[in-house]
Amino acid sequence: MISKDELAYLAKISKIELSEDEAEKFPKQLEKTIEYIDILEELSSDDSIVLDLQEIKLDELRDDVIKMSGGRRINKNLTEDGFLKGPKMK
Amino acid sequence: MSNLYDLLGHEVVEGIKEGLFTAEEYVCSVIKRIEDVESKLNSFISLDSEGALSSAKLIDRKFKEKENIGLLGGVTVGIKDNISTKDIRTTCGSKLLEDYVPSYDGTVIRHLKENGAIILGKLNLDEFGMGSTTEYSRFMPTHNPWNLDYVPGGSSGGSGAAVAAGECTVSLGSDTGGSIRCPASFCSVVGLKPTYGKVSRYGLISYANSLEQIGPICRSVKDVVMIMNIISGKDMNDNTSMSSSPITINDKSNNLDIAIIKELIDGSDDAVTRTIYSTSEKFKEIGCECNEISVKNLNYALPSYYTLASAEASSNLARYDNLRYGFDLPIDDYKWDNYFTSVRKNFGEEVKRRILIGSYVLSSGYYSKYYLKARRLRSLLRLELLTLFKKYDLLIGPTMPILPFKFGEKIDDPIKMYLVDINTVIANLAGIPAISLPAGFSNGLPIGLQIMAAPFEEQKLIDASYALENTINIQRRPNLI
Amino acid sequence: MSLVMIGLEIHAQITALKSKLFCSCRGNYRDLKPNTNICDTCCGLPGTLPIINRKAIEYSTMISIALGCKIPNKIMFYRKNYFYPDLPKNFQITQYNVYGFSSIGAEGIFELDDSKKIRITRIQLEEDPGRIAYLEGGMNVRNSVLIDYNRAGVALIEIVTEPDFTNPKEVRLFLNKLSLTLEHLGVCDTLLEGSVRCDVNVSIKGGNKVEIKNINSFKEVEKAINYEITRQNSMFNRNIKIDSETRHWDDRKKITFKARSKEEEHDYRYFPEPDIPVIILGDNFVSNLQDHMPELPNQRFDRFVSKYKLSEHTSNILINDKKLADFFESTLKVYFSPVEIANFLITDFKSLIQDDIDSSDYLRNLKVKPEHIAELVKMIEGNKISRITAKDILVNIFDSGKLPSEVANNTNAFKIADEKTLMDAVESVFNTEKSAVEDARTNHEAINFLLGKVMKFTNGRADPKIAMRLINNRLNKSNR
Repeated sequence: MISKDELAYLAKISKIELSEDEAEKFPKQLEKTIEYIDILEELSSDDSIVLDLQEIKLDELRDDVIKMSGGRRINKNLTEDGFLKGPKMK
Repeated sequence: MSNLYDLLGHEVVEGIKEGLFTAEEYVCSVIKRIEDVESKLNSFISLDSEGALSSAKLIDRKFKEKENIGLLGGVTVGIKDNISTKDIRTTCGSKLLEDYVPSYDGTVIRHLKENGAIILGKLNLDEFGMGSTTEYSRFMPTHNPWNLDYVPGGSSGGSGAAVAAGECTVSLGSDTGGSIRCPASFCSVVGLKPTYGKVSRYGLISYANSLEQIGPICRSVKDVVMIMNIISGKDMNDNTSMSSSPITINDKSNNLDIAIIKELIDGSDDAVTRTIYSTSEKFKEIGCECNEISVKNLNYALPSYYTLASAEASSNLARYDNLRYGFDLPIDDYKWDNYFTSVRKNFGEEVKRRILIGSYVLSSGYYSKYYLKARRLRSLLRLELLTLFKKYDLLIGPTMPILPFKFGEKIDDPIKMYLVDINTVIANLAGIPAISLPAGFSNGLPIGLQIMAAPFEEQKLIDASYALENTINIQRRPNLI
Repeated sequence: MSLVMIGLEIHAQITALKSKLFCSCRGNYRDLKPNTNICDTCCGLPGTLPIINRKAIEYSTMISIALGCKIPNKIMFYRKNYFYPDLPKNFQITQYNVYGFSSIGAEGIFELDDSKKIRITRIQLEEDPGRIAYLEGGMNVRNSVLIDYNRAGVALIEIVTEPDFTNPKEVRLFLNKLSLTLEHLGVCDTLLEGSVRCDVNVSIKGGNKVEIKNINSFKEVEKAINYEITRQNSMFNRNIKIDSETRHWDDRKKITFKARSKEEEHDYRYFPEPDIPVIILGDNFVSNLQDHMPELPNQRFDRFVSKYKLSEHTSNILINDKKLADFFESTLKVYFSPVEIANFLITDFKSLIQDDIDSSDYLRNLKVKPEHIAELVKMIEGNKISRITAKDILVNIFDSGKLPSEVANNTNAFKIADEKTLMDAVESVFNTEKSAVEDARTNHEAINFLLGKVMKFTNGRADPKIAMRLINNRLNKSNR
């Protein structure tokens, strides 16, 4: 069950503002999705199942070399000094 | 030869090299085709006709000077709009990236360009790749060229429709849970999701990075091979990419051991099932074994997929805070906290739902209940399939459990929409290659056959697909337009 | 003040790396114009992927080995998800010890001194966020933030200790030894601005743990802890409950103050980083590193004592100043006389350089080079000059950079061994110190007095042995 409070909490940690319409219909929709994935409870919690993960060897990794990419990476909200201006903290 | 735009990719390259037509003539034909049908289809978000024509003229100049025009010289490629193209707007079908212009090309784009391909434009998709119909695109939905009231599939709906309609020679899509194969199936074209790691993801704007791959959507198996050999390869810009052998077209298709996955048949509509069974008979005719088998862990596949995909999406999409790039929203009236939330209000509903579910399954207290179990299921499923692949060369079933449906039919019920992916998520979870081939029609609506192979066994997939394609000869050209 | 428990969480940049942890931008971002040391990847632009720096793994493993940690065969990275203006992707790629996967080092032990060991909980490799500045005023003033991503993506190691410290002095000793170790490994220059940060947690009398953040240099740590212990004790004495909270250190006012509380609670939603596969370190990785990595302080100490036969006291002084120890060994390459050279360095030489000792490259800019010291000590041992003269010459070389022999020649500093000259000096002294000469016939002390006078007469240059012999001869002569 997704309560309106729980939904508000999730929206807060995801930094998403919901429209009124969404705030109304999401609790039910999300609840249905969670009910759907609840079937995973049937699976065992057996820790001995090795997680089949992709591996890479140390010598395949990048060398410690500097390669500067030229050009501006940020095009908006720049101050004269080159700082990116962001909204105030409080 | 009716129209130039109907040509297959390899026919275009051969035609230009043999002097049958110029690249400019070909590209003009394609552009005219777009002009004729695009208003009905809405495949493209961005179209660069002028750039395409300039590239075509350049190719013709090179050809005249007896210079190499490349393995893809003259081929026009539509790119799904979640793949980074330098100096061409890349929106992911989202308001948040409405005006975002990347400063770099994804690796696959670089490979295409290096081989003479012409980047024609960016194709429509469900926002950030989340969806199965393009109805979640924040710009417009794309229409199925076989019946304009019907969805083209998704999330690479634009890629499927454009190729089927002849609006480009070939296209690239991305596949996280079926997003290449679904539109390929619904639009009666060929779509391949490669083995995880075969194609570099550098430039693919992440939705669920452990599940997705870029792949080709084409009008023929031969074109799929042509594109795959260009875009594949280990890439220093992607630590998850791996090197692999090129694929060849040959006539070896006999003696392949094929198995139909029972559960995929059981869950499908009758029309779909009939077509798949008759197609499997064709395999027997060309010398393959075909049996029915069961995959134990299948009913957990879709819930696992949505758990993992949502979890990764919630993190991958966190970067969209509009500070470094994005749309115009002055910061002055906001504090950082509500600036972020206000910006991100502009995500579509489906994206928001998946982010919220993702945050939910990852939050403390729920991590072991959902996410960890989904990870474990993924390993179990992969192990089970690898074991099956020791006995069988290929596993087949319908790509989609249903026929293409009309706009609006599933959009009000997220679960209904998710269930559409039930056959395709298996390959993403297991990291194995899977292709969708046109298999037939029902009431004029396309049905696709899905073939899966063991990791890096694309050759077997192609052997079977090429043989089948030549045998059953399904219509590739929509009548409607 | 009993039952104080202090634990540390240290972030140190791996300053020896040329590039960042996940991209090829410069690792040293200092003194660069804002947002000029960035690329698509460290800015978190869509479609970019982290590409990990192999050297970072090697260096962080070296640190783990030096701190006595267990090193796993495979390592994994995790995402720590939270929103903040200095975090380009709004998650940090870091490590996490869970579900059978460990970070680059775990369960280590660090010897503080003979009686005390500190347990190292874990060491992890992670990326630094960017930097935030404010238009005017500080953090608490309502102003736009200014963001600079030059630092975003720089490689950090995080070292977490168990709360095994019981007083601030132990913490200071630990941090000094840690800095020394890092310096010996050549992986982190702790004197570089912003290269180390230290968070501390303090509890007294088994009470709640208070975390103190924002301590930006090792020097401030001891002060912050002292303040906090005092604060907590005073609360305890007044029966006020000490809450488990996060406080910040204000290094201007020298106090800790409470941070915004609820904002600090985050659900980080850790999960494995999908873009980085599990990294196989390989069976021989750790042993290869151990064979090839730079000498650790205690290994160097043992070597100085056993190979060079230095006293433990002398070795200790040298070891604790790596640059001096390096200078010492460079000098040995020119002239091999370890005991003499070591003694000279830790007394006369060290007193002259004492003031500059905190600057990052203080020995590099010195005019005095190992060759100078070698020659000087050789001259002392060859009896060409006295110790006292040597010190004067050293002062000269500090300014002039000239070779000792040249200085000695110019200032006439060489020892007088010539008997005729010395005889004149002895005669002169005998003439002026008649009563001492009388005493000297019977009293040995007086002979030393006469020797001292001869040394003074010759400005310290007389060869004492020869002078003594001449004095004794002269005395015997006058006895007859």
